[in-house]
Amino acid sequence: MTTLQFLADGFTVAFQWQNLLFAFIGVIIGTAVGVLPGIGPMSGVALLIPVTATLTSGLPTEAAAASSIILLAGVYYGAMYGGSTTSILLNTPGESSSVVTTLDGYQMAKQGRAGSALAIAAIGSFCAGIIALLGLVLLAKPLSSIALKFGPAEYFSLMLLGLAAVSGLAGRSITKALIMTVLGLMIGTIGIDAVSGIERFTFGQPTLFSGIEFLTIAVGLFALGEVFKTILEKDDDDGQIAKINRVFPTKQDFKDSVVPIARGSFLGFFIGVLPGAGATLASFFSYITEKKFSKTPEKFGKGHIAGVAGPESANNAASGGAMIPLLTLGIPGSGTTAILMGALVMYNIQPGPLLFDEHPEVAWGLIASMFIGNLMLLILNMPLVRVFAKVIETPKKYLLPIIIAISFFGVYAVQYTTFDLYLLLACGILGYLFAKNDYPVAPLVLALVLGPMIENNMRRALTISNGHFSIFVSKPLSLVFLIVAVSWLLIPIFMKMRGKNVIINEEE
Amino acid sequence: MSQTFDKISSIAFFIIGILFVTEATQISDSAYGSTVGPKTFPLGLGIVLILLSLRLFYETWKQAAKLKIVRNTETPSKTTSIELKKFLILFISAIAYVFFLEIVGYVITTFIFLLIGFQTMERGKILSSISISVAFSVGIYYVFSVILGGSLPSFPTF
Repeated sequence: MTTLQFLADGFTVAFQWQNLLFAFIGVIIGTAVGVLPGIGPMSGVALLIPVTATLTSGLPTEAAAASSIILLAGVYYGAMYGGSTTSILLNTPGESSSVVTTLDGYQMAKQGRAGSALAIAAIGSFCAGIIALLGLVLLAKPLSSIALKFGPAEYFSLMLLGLAAVSGLAGRSITKALIMTVLGLMIGTIGIDAVSGIERFTFGQPTLFSGIEFLTIAVGLFALGEVFKTILEKDDDDGQIAKINRVFPTKQDFKDSVVPIARGSFLGFFIGVLPGAGATLASFFSYITEKKFSKTPEKFGKGHIAGVAGPESANNAASGGAMIPLLTLGIPGSGTTAILMGALVMYNIQPGPLLFDEHPEVAWGLIASMFIGNLMLLILNMPLVRVFAKVIETPKKYLLPIIIAISFFGVYAVQYTTFDLYLLLACGILGYLFAKNDYPVAPLVLALVLGPMIENNMRRALTISNGHFSIFVSKPLSLVFLIVAVSWLLIPIFMKMRGKNVIINEEE
Repeated sequence: MSQTFDKISSIAFFIIGILFVTEATQISDSAYGSTVGPKTFPLGLGIVLILLSLRLFYETWKQAAKLKIVRNTETPSKTTSIELKKFLILFISAIAYVFFLEIVGYVITTFIFLLIGFQTMERGKILSSISISVAFSVGIYYVFSVILGGSLPSFPTF
């Protein structure tokens, strides 16, 4: 079958009424998550995993997996749309990936051009989403057929590369990022060893036999951590919400933003494909590029439309691009995609090169639904932007306790033990402390998801080589991955030594 | 940025690393003749963590020395007000919530937790607090247990 046929099949899955509904719910919640400062896409997706697990409980496994991943992915890219709203209207970015949008977006809002900025952001996001999806469609098959030739040694090295990339770019201190990665890998070893059936680090506690649930850790570290932070550190945001006068941009604005949108989309897509570099980095790069290419660089920061169009397209394209390593190689390149992967694994569906052969319904259904979801977002965001702007006004006093209650419900509904709830609270505190002291939590979650796979591939490779570790460097492809991984960690250190500023990826 | 936290955490990670290594050596070897058993990977992780924690300790120590010089010339940095009381009330009631969840049931515990939560965040408007709490706890329970057929501890077991 050709790619087009697969895509057509994907659309039949995506057009099933429940999947349309799930995509719709996903993008709406995603936009809300994007608009609300304090809840990022990562905690939004983590919080919704148990909820979707409940909603889809009546369906057969594969259909349930397709439906829930459609919803969760909707939250992910929906948040990229929503993040721009607060940046423009309030000068407070809803997500870290919209930080640069505040530079020009808020200035435009002050000049009474908020509507234009919002509309261009939505249109740019839409174009970028579609470009990223086309890239995904074109690259999915060839990439996964290459990946099929990988042996355990190559996989092991590739996963190390993924971890190294995320740790190398996360946070200010690489040491701290690496510590978090190792911690994640350690937590992953708790439970009964899948190969030998021997229990490890369980101390005879039956609750630990099945290991520590990824969901509990992710919800605790991200969602509860953020809630605790908001409770503890009262921030006084009495910012005035700018008025939206007209929703449709002027012809001049359109003209000025066509090129930035196109450039931002391609740039964002390629940055998104790279592991570790996510939407935040993409939006920064796009802003810098636009400023460099612009004939009027002095206008940037004073309400130039290109300063909104470029970054907003880039962050959306990056979120689409980030799906490529996840779906084709089975290696998430960022925190949010790690959580998406965890969700797929919960349904016993292993992302990776075999995904497109074994579960075409899930893979192509997801891709097709992302086309539909992006269209929904465009339609939703143009006329309804005023409604979403109202979401900002949701009082925190109701929001925070409800988020705690939802995360409790979610974890309990999936795990049925109060042990996980205590663990959840502990993770919440740790998540707060870690984030406060510059310990990035995304590598931990990524390592927790990848850990068991890394270990199994390592042991498989070593069984092939009779225990000689040289197998990892004697296979050329594996060696290349390892070299890239090491340089990913070392180059920033060298650059810092030479006194250069290194752009880092904040949590996204 | 808190230097003390980094110092404490580097020591904590060091101890975790040591414990992990000692625990890992006690994992029994795999039954079949593979040279790489279930202990290799955790053992390696433990050693890496020990090394990293040492490096973190060194980095923190170096930074602290640097900061001392800076601090003498600069005014102390601004302190953010931390609302510890609110947080503690919420956190303790969250623990109580978990503790009573399986004894008193989902609806009642959730209702009480939310009510305490809303009132702690901001006093007043007791009526809207009560109605949102009721709507949430009953709503979730109804949708999850009654419509979707999931299982939640419903009402008091006594």
